[in-house]
Amino acid sequence: MNEQPVIQTRGLTKYFGTKPAVLDLNLEVPRGSVLAFLGRNGSGKTTTIRMLLGLLKPTRGEGSILGHDIRALPPEARARIGYLTEEHQLYGWMSVKECGGFQSQFYPRWNEKIFRGVIGHFSLKPTVRVKDLSRGERAGLCLGLVLAPEPELLILDDPAMGLDPVAHRSLVESMIYLTRRSDRTIFFSSHQLADVERVADYIAILDRSVLRACCSLETFRSSVRQVRLQFPGTPPPVPKIPGLLQAFRTEGELRLVCVHYNEAVERALRALAPAQMEQVPISLEEAFLSYLGERGEKSFILSETEVQP
Amino acid sequence: MKTLIFKELRENVRLAVLGLGILALVLALNVQKYSTILKNLGGISDSQQMYLPWQPLVASDFLIGFFCAIFGAVLGWFQIHNERHRDLWAFLVHRPVSRTQIFFGKVIAGLGIYLVAAGLPLVCFIVWAGIPGHVAAPFQWAMALQTAWLFLAGIAFYFAGMLTGLRQARWYASRTFGLGLAFMILLAYAVPIWGFWEILAAMLIGIAILAAAVWGGFHSNGHYNGQPALGKLGLTASITVGAGVVAFIVLALLASLLPNLVFNNDRWATYVMTKDGTIYKETQGGRRPPEFVGLDGKPLIDAKTGRMVESEEFNRRACNTTWIPMDWEKASLTRRNPTTFFTFWQATPDTIWYYWNRYGRLVGYDIATRRCIGSLGPNGFANDLSGGGDRFNAPDLRTLQTATAIYRADLQNRATKILFTTEKDETILGATDVLLNGNDWDYTVVATKRHIRLLTPEGKVVWKTPDDQAYPDSWRVRVSFLEKPGQCALWFAPPYGANKKAGWKLPTHVAWIDSEQGLFKSMDLPNLNPPWNRYPLRAKLLSLLMPPALWAAIYWDDRPEPPEMPWKLVLISLAAAAVVWVPLGFWLAWRHNFDVRARLGWAVFHLLCGLPGFLAFLSVQEWPARTPCANCGKLRSIDREKCEHCGVDFAPPEKNGTEIFAPLEASRT
Repeated sequence: MNEQPVIQTRGLTKYFGTKPAVLDLNLEVPRGSVLAFLGRNGSGKTTTIRMLLGLLKPTRGEGSILGHDIRALPPEARARIGYLTEEHQLYGWMSVKECGGFQSQFYPRWNEKIFRGVIGHFSLKPTVRVKDLSRGERAGLCLGLVLAPEPELLILDDPAMGLDPVAHRSLVESMIYLTRRSDRTIFFSSHQLADVERVADYIAILDRSVLRACCSLETFRSSVRQVRLQFPGTPPPVPKIPGLLQAFRTEGELRLVCVHYNEAVERALRALAPAQMEQVPISLEEAFLSYLGERGEKSFILSETEVQP
Repeated sequence: MKTLIFKELRENVRLAVLGLGILALVLALNVQKYSTILKNLGGISDSQQMYLPWQPLVASDFLIGFFCAIFGAVLGWFQIHNERHRDLWAFLVHRPVSRTQIFFGKVIAGLGIYLVAAGLPLVCFIVWAGIPGHVAAPFQWAMALQTAWLFLAGIAFYFAGMLTGLRQARWYASRTFGLGLAFMILLAYAVPIWGFWEILAAMLIGIAILAAAVWGGFHSNGHYNGQPALGKLGLTASITVGAGVVAFIVLALLASLLPNLVFNNDRWATYVMTKDGTIYKETQGGRRPPEFVGLDGKPLIDAKTGRMVESEEFNRRACNTTWIPMDWEKASLTRRNPTTFFTFWQATPDTIWYYWNRYGRLVGYDIATRRCIGSLGPNGFANDLSGGGDRFNAPDLRTLQTATAIYRADLQNRATKILFTTEKDETILGATDVLLNGNDWDYTVVATKRHIRLLTPEGKVVWKTPDDQAYPDSWRVRVSFLEKPGQCALWFAPPYGANKKAGWKLPTHVAWIDSEQGLFKSMDLPNLNPPWNRYPLRAKLLSLLMPPALWAAIYWDDRPEPPEMPWKLVLISLAAAAVVWVPLGFWLAWRHNFDVRARLGWAVFHLLCGLPGFLAFLSVQEWPARTPCANCGKLRSIDREKCEHCGVDFAPPEKNGTEIFAPLEASRT
């Protein structure tokens, strides 16, 4: 097996004016993996994807995809990459069947069975025009168009965005059952943490344009910990702890979420003299939300919020 | 690519049908208008008949040009706009075909649509005009050439429309600059000194420039950076011309808004004559009323008011004056002018007569059948167009001339009659019919190599005088008709070449003549500053903004005697470019952190292109964003790996302790 990463970037950076959208992105996506690209809105996920596909010129840095420079992707490389855009835009005047016919002319490896399978899964009638499809149906059609050429690399930009629960479920099922192939690499951005948990092997998290995490789900899960400290009265202010994601201060309780929990952190917390201190299990979704959310301390103590005379 | 072409055809079929319908309707209305004119010809005065659209094919060029330009631009713009949504554009370009193939897929389909929507009605229109019995006027296939030029110019607008839709620009309005070049291409067909090949070359070069700009835009998703060199060249050239057009319009608006500051303050003087034969010097211009001063230097005073005579009053006193059109002036008639093909001559209740240049004869058409009834030449009427090959040299308002005779035509009887014949070895160089009071034919002035004669409509010679009184080689003669019938003044202007050689100091000779006394008075008038010999302030100011390269383009001419280059103005332009635009261009290139070669290149570009070049640079180049360098603190370009001041790389983003990195395995279970 070719061990060269399917996607590789080095110092990839994009500015819009003087505002950075992606800063110094160093990423390697191994062949055959499913990587979820996470981050809040505006963190640079779509910008990164568009740079990877040569749709946006990087301000600096470099990258390759399937071994080709992203600044000059040849048609042969594009034939091996399936790209699903986030808004599932297609030609409104085309029917579902015409969309398939149009797309198939460009791909020598077009698999009509897959296309029919996907549109059948979404219950799409071949004669319906794209402009008459619902958002979820359009997403299904787009997925069919992307999967039918049997690409080696699938890049899905927030595929479930704006879908209702039924359409969302259909899409995820398709992703699970139709995309799984040991030599296929999937790189998808998403806000749906449940999907990530079900589908992804690895995650990469962009926080304010900077890549802060890139690891397997297990590593991520084990790196984020939640600790609960109980105090007889108002908890003391949270000391400076490396890797602190969030701290919640309530009457008699201090709850912290942090990464790289170790003995030094434990010692620092014990120095606060809590009545009780324990690690609390944290779900993957909570871990994600803590990681992606606002950093720092949040207090919910009434006495501190009262107005002083 | 075939799939893309079919997709584009399908996508734009509505626009094609709409365009075809509009053009067909416009042309049909023109045809209907023409029929109405023929029906109501009797109610149209003779003077108005001169300007009627006798040949709808030739007379429809404005509408055709307007349609081709608008339709071409809209079609091109729509073809891009349809897919300008970020995701749809990605859907289009992210497929296993090159951007060049996508470009050609769109362009082939677009031009096919343009060909059908604009070309088909035009071809039908030309064929309709060419079939006898449809138009009661001469038809030559060459008349279709200007329609072909307008159609070709529409292709330039098509690419300009595409460029407008495609371009990603910091200045939103600069996206439309490509239309400026298309507009200049449209005007190319009207350049009077250009022949077929010059126009064709200019149009094809312009279209190629715009096409290169669009092709480059496909490679870079509409941005300047990331294009192939050819695309950058095309885009820069397109935008420069467009910026030049915009700059010209803005300057013209400024000139009209701020007239009293610097513009139009120049005054110039000419000689004018009253009906009693007195010469005055009229000084006009500069947004002040004209002044009339006698040759003795005294102002012309109005006896009623006691003040200087005003323009209106002087016009009442002034005499009629006409130039004698000489052979060399006729030769300079524009190729495109309808009179190159034919000239409306006169209409009778049931026929229309034209002077058809190709045959040198008057050609008649029956109004009812719209078919040719025959032609009139010096030897009389013939049933065909060419007769026996006998032909006139030129027509005037009421007479026709050959090298040795002046004729008048009797259209009712379909015959010609000789009005005047030259003496032995005398050739007619020019003749003009004089209508002093509108439509009444009073005289005909005939100039030969030996004499100038004034004839009555019956052919009687009123007076005759030698024509080489002042300048043997000059044929710039005008005739002023004084109050007494048959009394005239002849103005012999110095020939251009000799006057230039003499430093514009040769006088104008004036001679008074009538039937009784013959040549009874003459005098030389000193030369009044010729306008071409001095540059007003506004010309100098505009030269400051004139791109030096444009002088070469304007004065590039392969005629035997091209106009003289205004070197003073060229030097002003060059000096302005050297002092203002070159440093600006060099600084901009430095600000963009270009290498020395590119800086010098842009400096030369600014030297040649001046203000439009400067605007084009700002339009095409993205303004370089800079951030403080973490090492030296100075502002550094964000798109350079190393700081241009201290050579240090960008520091990686600061770690905040929440980083989770682990090697990713090469395959999954």
